[in-house]
Amino acid sequence: MNSKHLIELNNRKRKLLTEENERYYSDMLLYIRLQFRLSEQASEEILMELLDHLLEGQKEGKTARDIFGDDPKAYADEIIRQLPNEKIRSTVPFITGLILNLIGWFFMIRGAIIGIAKPFTDVNESFYIIPTTIIVSVIAIEIGFMVWYIFHFIKSSLFTEKEEKKWKDNLKVGGMSVVTMGLVVVIAYFLPKFGPILTITWYVSLLAGGAIWLIGRFVEKRA
Amino acid sequence: MSFRSQILKGILDGVVLAVIEKEPVYGYELSKKLQKAGLSDVSEGTIYPILLRLQKKGFIRGEMRPSKSGPNRKYYFLTEEGTEELRTIVEEWGKIVGPVQKLFERRGKIDEFKTLD
Repeated sequence: MNSKHLIELNNRKRKLLTEENERYYSDMLLYIRLQFRLSEQASEEILMELLDHLLEGQKEGKTARDIFGDDPKAYADEIIRQLPNEKIRSTVPFITGLILNLIGWFFMIRGAIIGIAKPFTDVNESFYIIPTTIIVSVIAIEIGFMVWYIFHFIKSSLFTEKEEKKWKDNLKVGGMSVVTMGLVVVIAYFLPKFGPILTITWYVSLLAGGAIWLIGRFVEKRA
Repeated sequence: MSFRSQILKGILDGVVLAVIEKEPVYGYELSKKLQKAGLSDVSEGTIYPILLRLQKKGFIRGEMRPSKSGPNRKYYFLTEEGTEELRTIVEEWGKIVGPVQKLFERRGKIDEFKTLD
């Protein structure tokens, strides 16, 4: 059974848990799934085994606490320590696909905006290669950072019931988004325009973007 | 950690391998068999990190197959390396248990001598 099927099966079986056991198990599940360096297949297999065990124990009146102990985080950490890492062979296509996806969307959106605006205003279809590359790279790094930042807070919100902490975390993530977006605007404003100019008309941008996006999808599927 | 749990921790790999050698089992079955064998203080959850570690070392391998009760379960089988490892553990264990047992048995006798004095 591949990881996709295991995830579907897990979603269905989890509904059979009591409220208390579900909370305990789901925290552990999220915590383990958020370890991206781990083999997805191995992670899903052990998560299924733990769920099956918990369901059988539940029939005998046992709780997740009885089976896995009072410290779910420590238990999950012990599991994580033993899980194999994802093979680089499947990580590289995944990340490459993601980046191509981003570039594809960038060109498609640019093409669409210029295409729509052109009949009404005078738009410039040329851009400076070097400054644009810098800005796109900064955006890509910031997206990566924000994803990491948000997952970091999800991880720290697990195994706790403090509402106040969640509220504070939301504020921090919101604040960080404003800062990162502001940074892009500031860089775009102050970055000198230099180097070679490239002119890509709106329909070429749209088509090229679509092609890059398709390639990205294809590469990602191979992962 | 209590004395008992420390000893158990050290020998648990061997215990788990011995159960799997007898018959391929899935996680829940394994914990039931350990309890039946009298090791009821091995908390159920502890077997999973052990199973993962033994798998990583190549001593056991897991395979999905339908269980007696119906649904698919991951059954664990002993590999050749696992059989070899179990043989080593059993041998080493014997080398410890024998002498230790002898030492402990002597205790009563020493006490007897003392009371004679």
